[in-house]
Amino acid sequence: MWIQLMPVLVVLSVLFGGALVLGVMQSLGFAPWFGVNTFPDFQYFGALWGDWFFWQSLGLTLYYALVSTFLSLVMGVLLALALVRYFPGKTFYKYLYKLPLMIPYTVGIALAVIMMGNSGMISRLMAFVGLIDDPSQFPQILKTHYGWGIIAVYVWKQTPFVALTVYAVLLGVGRETEEAAAILGANKWQIFFQVTFPQILPGIVSSTLIIFAFNIGAFEAPFILGGGFPDTLPVVAWRYFNDADYTLQLQGMATVVSIALIAGVILYSYLSFYRRYERRIGRH
Amino acid sequence: MARQKFKRALNSRLSPFQKIYLLLVAGFIVGPFVPLLIQSFAFRWAWPDLLPGTWWLEQREKSLLPLAWDYVISPYSRVWEATLNTVFIGAVVTVICLLICLPTARVLAREEFKGKASFEFFLSMPLIVPEAAIGIALLMIFIKIGLAGSYLGIILVHLIPTIPYMIRMLTAVYQGLGRDFEEQAMILGASRWQILRLVTLPMLLPGVVAGALFTFLVSTNIFLLTFFLGQGKIITLPTLLFSKISGGTLDASAAGITLVVTIPGIILLLITERFIKEEAFGKGFGN
Repeated sequence: MWIQLMPVLVVLSVLFGGALVLGVMQSLGFAPWFGVNTFPDFQYFGALWGDWFFWQSLGLTLYYALVSTFLSLVMGVLLALALVRYFPGKTFYKYLYKLPLMIPYTVGIALAVIMMGNSGMISRLMAFVGLIDDPSQFPQILKTHYGWGIIAVYVWKQTPFVALTVYAVLLGVGRETEEAAAILGANKWQIFFQVTFPQILPGIVSSTLIIFAFNIGAFEAPFILGGGFPDTLPVVAWRYFNDADYTLQLQGMATVVSIALIAGVILYSYLSFYRRYERRIGRH
Repeated sequence: MARQKFKRALNSRLSPFQKIYLLLVAGFIVGPFVPLLIQSFAFRWAWPDLLPGTWWLEQREKSLLPLAWDYVISPYSRVWEATLNTVFIGAVVTVICLLICLPTARVLAREEFKGKASFEFFLSMPLIVPEAAIGIALLMIFIKIGLAGSYLGIILVHLIPTIPYMIRMLTAVYQGLGRDFEEQAMILGASRWQILRLVTLPMLLPGVVAGALFTFLVSTNIFLLTFFLGQGKIITLPTLLFSKISGGTLDASAAGITLVVTIPGIILLLITERFIKEEAFGKGFGN
């Protein structure tokens, strides 16, 4: 039996586990190929965490990740609830809403630029209705720390993911329990919060876990659409890594390990919170 | 009265709010492609015109093809190179991933063993550890051992995010398959090879196709790992597009490239919608 598990176990342990272990060791000063070996040495974490900009970057990273995860969750669940109903053109709609799932984030970024850029469609529409008469008067949406562009790209790409997951769960559980609740006199809000919601919760948790982890570690959208210094943590790490001063690579590694640690703590507390809820309602 | 209340609570048709919502979401998802398409066929499209001032068609004696498309299909844009790389890497990753995941999924679906829960947790770890962390940590190692910027390096690193999806989908398939048919074949005297060839594989095939398509899809969409570990030497469609728009502006040729990068997704969408049933996806991700 273990023989059958070996291939996957070896590949993941070596590539993924190896990367994690070596990453942690490097962030603690183990880099003999640079002539640096002061393991274990917390100076890189100390320098990073002692700097105010790190906490600003962390705040931005979490802000983009949380807001877009929350918006995708709400929009995705609403979409899934509409998709289980019957409506004309449903077959076509089921193709249409999945399109963002199939294409890279960079396409979403290009769309954000053409819609929300200073000379983009929104700016042109505002000029058309007479609100502005020069692109420079356009209230900048992209490249600010509000991150509207970043959030729009994440929501555009991830709403279909949440919707697909929740829709699949809804198809799996069927409508019998909802019908029973309706016969017993529940109104539609009671049905949603007391019957449907607990049923789709596992789908909600697994899809939000995945997109939140992605958002925290995403690089391309904040790099192109972000507001510059302070950048999000993955962009900070990338800049350290490409710095001419190679000792900063270890600082970059400390940044990367910090991202993984923070993501780990948040996702772990989220999961244990969810598990406690599951036990309270008597599942598992 | 009671009947009416019952109907309101359990409606199987769309409410007015849901109708509007579906339209808004559709607009949000595909709406931005309209100006993109226009941009790629424009000759001159200055601010604040809502439509191009000069279309390519009016200037076709100056250039045979729309300017953007002329560039996109020329070797200078490197679109062909990126497309070939994307498809090649995706195909190899899919085959390797399938081969190493099939036995594991079989065990996970059918056997109980000590440490199974933690093993499953380990398998889904790549989905919840931020990609930037993996990417940069691996880059250090890959540079050291000479794998950075090579096809082998990119293919290896693409296995990390694809394995968890493949395992989940294949495990769901094996769970649905059950052992009964194989046992019946065994009782009727079939050899192991015959069972595999005549019973297991045909029943497994739809799920395997679905898992393979999904893996291919994930691989073709990966940006960060390819960008970090490709070192600019190996470009795929997502990294090519990134380099065109990294300045934060979008000219006609970038619009054309964006559309080209979208095409494989549309083809995959048309295929997967027929092969991947939503229920199967739910089994993989609903828990």
